[in-house]
Amino acid sequence: MRSRSRRRLVGVWLVVAVGLGALLVVARAAEGPLDDLDPAYQRPGLLDLGALPRPAPPVTGEVPAPGSEAVVFFVRPDGLEALCDAVAGTELAGEPDLVVVVAGPAGSCAGDLPVVADPAGRLAEGYGLREPADGGPPVGYAVVDAAGQIRYRTLDPEVNDLLSEVDTILRAV
Amino acid sequence: MSESSSAPAAPVATARVMRLCLWCVVAVLIELGLYLSYRGHDARFHWFTHFFVGSAVALLVMSVVALHTRRPVPVPLVWPVLGHLYAMFPDLLFSASRVAHQRWMDVFLGHISTHFVPGRNLTWYVVFLAATAVYLGALDRLRSRER
Repeated sequence: MRSRSRRRLVGVWLVVAVGLGALLVVARAAEGPLDDLDPAYQRPGLLDLGALPRPAPPVTGEVPAPGSEAVVFFVRPDGLEALCDAVAGTELAGEPDLVVVVAGPAGSCAGDLPVVADPAGRLAEGYGLREPADGGPPVGYAVVDAAGQIRYRTLDPEVNDLLSEVDTILRAV
Repeated sequence: MSESSSAPAAPVATARVMRLCLWCVVAVLIELGLYLSYRGHDARFHWFTHFFVGSAVALLVMSVVALHTRRPVPVPLVWPVLGHLYAMFPDLLFSASRVAHQRWMDVFLGHISTHFVPGRNLTWYVVFLAATAVYLGALDRLRSRER
């Protein structure tokens, strides 16, 4: 009688272990090639993580500018148009300076957003963006405060749909 | 994670099973909803961390309460859900009120720092399974006392 009850409890434990273990594996397999290999560093929602804050390298002559917050988006050439469209239709807190860094030849962007070519990835490296799972150029963004310090940076392949998070970070800066 | 099995009369037993199953369904639906919500925000990793941490703490509390009161806790599936909701509370602030995370939010069962433990969610999975084993062990102990 006792051993049957114990076997039942062990069975419950096994079901929980296998079920949640399988869910973990499925979730891991669903991560994309542009995601961070270490998901703890992807969209942590926390300012000044790790080596931050640190000075932001200049992207253009005007960005970053003293007294203005800035958002520097990093994108691959095939994602430029969609990012530009998404950003053009969004109001961000504090009206920050915006700039798009393309890992390839510079294109044009809706809404007169400045676009900077970074085929060698020097700007992405200067901003300390992490390498995505596929080993290619990072897709994400960095937030710079009015003192010219990088306060937040993350890979974010879904940034077009998650611009509200950029807004949340800007409110915290 | 079932309730006591102390051979009650059949109608009472049926009522207990029904109550357990109702709470079981509610708890599973809540967790399913939370998982889908996190998935919608491309944040499954965070659901796992806070689920494992919150549920593990709840299971350990359940074990202490059960051994102290000498009876299984009522509605056992709800406790892990409450632990999870507490652990993930800063995420509710983030998405509903646009409040960015801050380090003091570690008061919510290590909401910030639990993401950065070595092994990440695999570590918390093991901790959660250990806590589940502790609670089931407590149930086993209670049952052996009843006999």
